[in-house]
Amino acid sequence: MKRKTSQVASELIKRLDTHLNDESIGNPFFPERGIQPFPLTTDGFKTIQNVDSDKKTAFVDGGNQEVLGAPNFSVQLNRVYFGMWSGNKRIPERSIPKRIEFFAATFSDFERGEIQYSTSLFPLAGEEAILPRERDLSFSSMDRSITVGNQRADIYRVGSISRRFSELVLAKSVVENELAPGDVILLDGTLQTAFPNEYAYLAELSQAAQKKGVILGGLSKTSALFTDTGYSLLGALDKLSAEKGITSEWYYPIADGTSKDHFVFILGVKLNAISERIFRLEIQRDQFLSLDERELNELLTQLVRNSADYTFPGYPYGLIDADRFARVTSSEREHYFAILRSQMAAMGKWEKFYRHVKATDAHNVLNKLG
Amino acid sequence: MHQFAHMADVHLGANRHGKMAELEIGAFVRAMDMCITRKVDFIVISGDLFHVGVPSDLNTVRQAVAKMREVTEHGIPIYAIYGSHDYTPTSTSIIDVIESAGLLTKIVKPQVIDGTLKLECVVDARTGAKLVGISARRMGLEREYYDMLDREELERLDGFKIFAFHSGIDELKPEYLSRMDSIPISLFPKGFDYYAGGHVHQHSEHRLPGYDRIVFPGPLFAGYGRDFEFTAKGERRGFYIVSFDQTVTDVEFVETVLVESMFKEYSLTGLNSARAQDTLAESFGSLDVDGKIVVLKIRGELSGGKTSDIDFVHLQNLLYDRGAVDVHLGRRGLTSADYASIKVAGEDVTIIEERLFKENVGTVHTNIPELQGDSGVKLSLELLRVLKEDKNPAENKKEYEARMIEDALGVLQLKGAFEK
Amino acid sequence: MTRMEELEIVGQIIAGKVAHILIREKTDTKIELGNLLVAESRNGLLILQVHNLFYGSQVSREVLELTAGLELEGRGGSLEFFDESLRNYVLAEARAVALVSGNRVTIPKALPDFFSSVRHVVNEDLRFMDVPENTAYLGKVRSGSNVLDVPVRLNAQDLFTHHVLIPATTGRGKSNLVKVLLWSVVNDDNLGVLVLDPHDEYYGGRGKELGLSNHPDAKDKVKYYSLAAPAGTNTLVINLKSIMPWHIEELVNLTDPQSEALYGYYFAHKKDKQWIEAIFKDERPENVAPMTAAVLQRKFKTALGLDVNEQGDLICYNRAFSATSGESTLSEMIAALESGMIVVVDTSRLSDKAELLIGSLVINEILTKYQRYKQETGSSGVSKLEDKPVVSIVIEEAPRVLGADVLSQGGDTTYSTVAREGRKFKIGLVAITQLTSVIPTTVLANLNTKIIFGNEMASERNAIISSAAQDLKEDYATIGSLDKGEAIVSSIFTKFAIPIQVPLFDDYVAEYPSRGTREDKHDIHLKPNRRVV
Repeated sequence: MKRKTSQVASELIKRLDTHLNDESIGNPFFPERGIQPFPLTTDGFKTIQNVDSDKKTAFVDGGNQEVLGAPNFSVQLNRVYFGMWSGNKRIPERSIPKRIEFFAATFSDFERGEIQYSTSLFPLAGEEAILPRERDLSFSSMDRSITVGNQRADIYRVGSISRRFSELVLAKSVVENELAPGDVILLDGTLQTAFPNEYAYLAELSQAAQKKGVILGGLSKTSALFTDTGYSLLGALDKLSAEKGITSEWYYPIADGTSKDHFVFILGVKLNAISERIFRLEIQRDQFLSLDERELNELLTQLVRNSADYTFPGYPYGLIDADRFARVTSSEREHYFAILRSQMAAMGKWEKFYRHVKATDAHNVLNKLG
Repeated sequence: MHQFAHMADVHLGANRHGKMAELEIGAFVRAMDMCITRKVDFIVISGDLFHVGVPSDLNTVRQAVAKMREVTEHGIPIYAIYGSHDYTPTSTSIIDVIESAGLLTKIVKPQVIDGTLKLECVVDARTGAKLVGISARRMGLEREYYDMLDREELERLDGFKIFAFHSGIDELKPEYLSRMDSIPISLFPKGFDYYAGGHVHQHSEHRLPGYDRIVFPGPLFAGYGRDFEFTAKGERRGFYIVSFDQTVTDVEFVETVLVESMFKEYSLTGLNSARAQDTLAESFGSLDVDGKIVVLKIRGELSGGKTSDIDFVHLQNLLYDRGAVDVHLGRRGLTSADYASIKVAGEDVTIIEERLFKENVGTVHTNIPELQGDSGVKLSLELLRVLKEDKNPAENKKEYEARMIEDALGVLQLKGAFEK
Repeated sequence: MTRMEELEIVGQIIAGKVAHILIREKTDTKIELGNLLVAESRNGLLILQVHNLFYGSQVSREVLELTAGLELEGRGGSLEFFDESLRNYVLAEARAVALVSGNRVTIPKALPDFFSSVRHVVNEDLRFMDVPENTAYLGKVRSGSNVLDVPVRLNAQDLFTHHVLIPATTGRGKSNLVKVLLWSVVNDDNLGVLVLDPHDEYYGGRGKELGLSNHPDAKDKVKYYSLAAPAGTNTLVINLKSIMPWHIEELVNLTDPQSEALYGYYFAHKKDKQWIEAIFKDERPENVAPMTAAVLQRKFKTALGLDVNEQGDLICYNRAFSATSGESTLSEMIAALESGMIVVVDTSRLSDKAELLIGSLVINEILTKYQRYKQETGSSGVSKLEDKPVVSIVIEEAPRVLGADVLSQGGDTTYSTVAREGRKFKIGLVAITQLTSVIPTTVLANLNTKIIFGNEMASERNAIISSAAQDLKEDYATIGSLDKGEAIVSSIFTKFAIPIQVPLFDDYVAEYPSRGTREDKHDIHLKPNRRVV
């Protein structure tokens, strides 16, 4: 029997409502070990004090798209980019290229009884030296850090790993060549490692940063963190800040991470008074602890000043900028696909590759059928 | 009430021989006598009293001077300006001689101050009339004086004032004199009571805004050259007697006809030279020319022979024998088919044809646009041109006729229209 | 260093298609509507003309609107646009109008190189336009509101024989242009111009503003006719004998009987030509009914201001016509035109009909003569017409004689005949009008140079654009934004539609190199010992 949609909607909302706890906020909950959360109280908010400086913040981001793929190979275009800002002023780079572009061609081999993925890198623009090591991009297709449940890791995912590593390599180069002590290098996302061999790159970056006196951080746009009452963590902070009646920019220490894979101090930050968004900011732990209040506010002031763009108040424009210039668009993907395809045809290889491509092509066909 | 006489273009000495010379001086004498009889207060001569600045025929001069003495002895002053003929740029002219004898007064009293020409006026003692004038120079070069003239000063003169001049005026010259050098009326000072003109050999009175009375008397006699034809065609010759007190009250043209004139035109088209001679002789033989000045115009195209085959001297003598005073025989319009001649400007056959068609196309009632207006004229001319074509020696009459018809139909865009 | 490197780049070509090339404007430079820009390529200089401007932004419209709202309501706080000049900019839409390679100029057929930089045009780029032998001066090249030092001169013979249309609403500077143009051709002996001047603005003099009378050679090269003629100029008076029945038929609507009657009078007075006087003196030819004669009298009275006084004498209230004077006026005007003079007729005190009649008299006469010359061969073996100067007629409010309703009612006028056929006989028309839309396209198509001034009216702009020598579709907005003195020259003699700035006549005259004046001549003739008789 067909029921009215409004009736169905009403039942749905009632059920959600019972599960949505709006009363007890609780405290931050981290499933992983080595993270010590702090209680959520209205007293925990700290207003960001305005501290003028001419310090710089470098923002790094990357993008990638599969240009040609099959179950047993994946060719991806990767792009990583950095931009430097001092507050709301863009600072031009001195020596290293702003943008690194390369193809990552990952292919599968059957080795030691298992499917192994290996990757070769083909730079398009930028210094070869600012690329990750190819050997670090070889994994077993069953490596748990990249599988989805019990399913073998999609070869496509390896492309994302190339990109992530190259972000870290570029960040290190930026720290060494473009930044000065007291400056900040900020990645998009957390400083938590997830992929095989990723820790090595993060460690190299972290060492370079500490050696130079450049603060390493990461800002996440989204957060899946909860409190121990099932509340969304950032939602909880938002509610608390409203109760507190804070009208200016603030930060809130959320947790202290000491594990090897996640050696950071985690803050919740609101970087513009009229913004409704709260973001998760992670700073390398040792560096964070070495900052005094003034220095911390100086760092945060830079972020506040950089987060005053009309299009996304409260979010650092440097990251918007980095995202825009690192992104690989669909039209670019198609453009490179066409080049590859025609080159393959010229070399008489298209038929061979296409046999493999067809296996994952059903989606595209369905899409075209409307 | 006062009166003055206004005359011009007497051209004494233009006709130097015999009866014509007599008639010429006779006209002047007669005019002067009439001035005495009519008791005019003064006489204005607007140039070209004499035909040249230094006449060789002193007999004419003597007679003229004698008459002028008589006039002045009657208390009638004569005021004059130079014309385009009776002045000399470099030496003394006859007018100067007569003036120095006290028989006339030149009324051109110029002074150039700061590039402006100022004219002093001469005041007639009896009437108080103020007279100023500008003499002529050859080829209308007096234009420069008019350009420099201080008109405002002259316009401020009060009382009755006369401006004497010897020039054509742009706005007033007749069509046949359109090429004559002339001066725009705007260069004349406004507001004079009388503008006493000379140089134009036809009498006329005009009015233009700001210039109430512009008068040309024309010659007293027949004048010279083309004047004879006009006289023979009825142009009256004489001078003006103008009555005035504060302003002009009357302008009277007084004729000085001493002799009759006659004009006749002949067309010799289609005649050969011999036949033409006979025709003219026959005609001349019947004309009443006794005591008259005879002006003849011979034109046309002789079908054969040369124009010089015709003995015009003999023909002229026929007329003299019959008592003609003077014979002027114009034959520029006479040509011969055997010999090409230069077309006379303004008498082109094509112009005449076009004008005729233009005049008459409006009278054709038709709805067909091609036959109306300019298209109709064009079509007519083309048709005429086609139909004027001569027969080729190679074709016979029938072929010629057929060709004519075909060409004509072609022009009318009716080819094939009459085929069965 | 190439010119491109020396001169400031003002934009970059980023997209578009033929006639709609998109250029992003560089920050702190200003691209204007109508600007001429240059992109350098291997094949030469590509000249582009901007015909549209609009805003471009990397920020979505909604955000922009919201942002504006925040600012306007004072709630923006410390917010700003980062990278403002990068993200918000101006886009110019242009079309390529000419490809210049040395002295060779062609119409471009390919798109410019993608991403080429563009700069403003400079004088040297347009060197090809300056043809000193050409006498007809129109103004200087204008790029947007910037005037370059590049004169725009056209060949006078070509320009005038192929007819000119000057469409403009009041106050845009068309009279100023005509004055400048005429001044520049005063000394061209191969050109005679008849100017019907209904506002008496071209000759000057009489303590009024400067005009053609101030030209150093005005005395020999400019003739002026007016009812109030200043000293040295001619009084406008034309004898009635100069008027023929076909002139009247063009001027006045006549029925067939009236037309017949007209010709009846004419033929009856073939010899003395006093047929018009006869109409008023009741000397009726046999075939003319009294009623018809009365109607003709009335029509002449209205059209020419003729009447009889109590004494029975014919009076011309319209002093431009006379029964007794002005016999040679027409011949003199024609002779002046044939000798390459400018003849200005002040018609400011005349009715429309009288003005048009005078024009018609002159044109008819010159047209007849020139048609004849064309048929006759001169001594050099070519047509006599070859040695004759071009004659052009300047007429204002052209729809009076070229308008569709006028032509459909009464058929072709003398003026429309000149527009259609005059070129064959070296006779041209300069038609000035506020309303182009009422002139039939068949006539407009013959007016091969259009000097277009500003016009707000949509219908007029469309009419002008659709008949122009170049594709001006994209200039619709530009034409609406032309300021006083700014114009676009669209001609079959120009490679592209050239934007010009017409100089103020007084400034143009001041620039003109002085030559011998009247005063010099007088010095020669007025030496103290020279007798003035």
